[in-house]
Amino acid sequence: MTSIDARVSEIPGLVRCEEFDRDAMAERLTEMTHTVYAHDQVYGQFCTIHAHIDCPPADVFAYLSNPLSLMEWTYSLRKLRPTGSDGLLVGEDGVGTPIYCRTVVNEQALTVDYHCAWDQGDELWMIYLNRVLPAELVLKQPGSVVVWTNCRHPYYENNPFPHLCRDAKRTWVGDLWPFFYAGHSIELQNLKIILEHRRRSGSPLGPLPEDPESRS
Amino acid sequence: MKTISLLGVASYLPERIVRNDFFAEGTAARRGMFTAPTTRRHVASDELAATMIERAARRLVERLNLNPAADIDIILTNVTIPDQPFTGCGAEVARRIGCTPGWVLDVHNTGCVSFIYMLELAQRLMNDGDARGALLCNVQNAAGRLFAQPGVRLTPQAPVPGDGCGVGYVAASDASPLLAAVHRVHPDCAADMVVSADDGRRYWEPGLSRFSVSFTEERVAAIIARGNRLVPEIVRDACRLAAVRVQDIGLLVTNQPNPIFLRNWREALEIPAASHHDTYDKYGNLFGAAIPINLDDALESGRLTEDTLVALGGFSHAGDYCAAAVMRWTTTPHA
Repeated sequence: MTSIDARVSEIPGLVRCEEFDRDAMAERLTEMTHTVYAHDQVYGQFCTIHAHIDCPPADVFAYLSNPLSLMEWTYSLRKLRPTGSDGLLVGEDGVGTPIYCRTVVNEQALTVDYHCAWDQGDELWMIYLNRVLPAELVLKQPGSVVVWTNCRHPYYENNPFPHLCRDAKRTWVGDLWPFFYAGHSIELQNLKIILEHRRRSGSPLGPLPEDPESRS
Repeated sequence: MKTISLLGVASYLPERIVRNDFFAEGTAARRGMFTAPTTRRHVASDELAATMIERAARRLVERLNLNPAADIDIILTNVTIPDQPFTGCGAEVARRIGCTPGWVLDVHNTGCVSFIYMLELAQRLMNDGDARGALLCNVQNAAGRLFAQPGVRLTPQAPVPGDGCGVGYVAASDASPLLAAVHRVHPDCAADMVVSADDGRRYWEPGLSRFSVSFTEERVAAIIARGNRLVPEIVRDACRLAAVRVQDIGLLVTNQPNPIFLRNWREALEIPAASHHDTYDKYGNLFGAAIPINLDDALESGRLTEDTLVALGGFSHAGDYCAAAVMRWTTTPHA
């Protein structure tokens, strides 16, 4: 027994080749492999989506790192402006809900995380985790792969700040969790279309500055 | 195309019930593709496929009140391990049950979906001539003949197969109409299942080494994925052809390689377990005989009743064939 084996052998529940031979492993693999999976089994607790974007990783990272890009590629996050608090922006969705957002990036890891919340900016619990991967490494093709994950924070089930809601008929963000896969997929497709379009046409990748004339 | 009806089914199961202690230690605890049934039947060493068919056919003749000489114009058989290497057993079956059919076809291919394939063949043969009735015969005898052999019986896959014979009678009639039958051939999967001996001996060469039936190991994952996908796909295709909705299937009967495939197929078709009839736990993998035996078992247990929309489906070997059929079941006595 190696020292590694000795250290882990006391931990129950592990499946390692020392205790489970190839046949025993095959039993588990086949049992766990279904033809179809219920939506809730796949997207019930975590929602991870991915897309290939024909745009260099550094450029995708730079675009995502600028939170103003959210006003281009998301379905309805608009009117983002500084709150005065460090790096915290506030915007609105299509029906006037204030959405707070702080962007946390790591250039070395190419991660861009949006820490968000509805109605208040003190506890940013809706976290959109994005990682940009060089497609050259993972798919042996040019461009980037974007992996986007959300985790089902308990606040999705119950709004902890109901008194901050100004519209009694508003649908709580957590009630939309079953649509996260679809909604996020559409938005990720938007991101892909914007970046590939601008790259093809040779225009700046953006996000493009807002034209002051058009501000309503 | 003439309308045909499957008017009845019958089965014969060998007497010998084999329990898990016959196989390697730990058999009952196996999971996954080699999940062991609680029991299965094995043919006796001198039990011929022709005898098994004769026994099942006599039950069917009695049940449907058939006169074999007048009512059976076509005999189709599929036998896993044929009684003789050159000849099929169809003509011998005809002799034993007392008929002189115009057509005998011993179908060597399509294994686990041969019952559906033979349904289609019967329809084609009836369409072009004046044949009125066809006897479809499936024999699975590889469990007793191959997997019970010393050496083979201790392998992980040996507990899975079980032996049995199922027969069906098809007539040019619209009493219990076949609404659709479809099959597909996948030549690229043809070489993925092989009978081989450890020392490379071919089955016709002399020697003492044991034979086993196996999938090419590097393709196991691909073959499982293929099996998972093919059956729901072709059952849906048959429903589309029959102009019925998948959710209206009252009884689904498939081949039964193991409980994992059964689970995956009904999950993919969104068919409740109660509407998917199998006999895996008592008879094991019955190969081509599974469909007629399960139909007979469903009839006997009252799960197949008047006016049920029945779907049949499956795939054979490593996916070289897949097939499905849809019929409206009517328990019409033979006219």
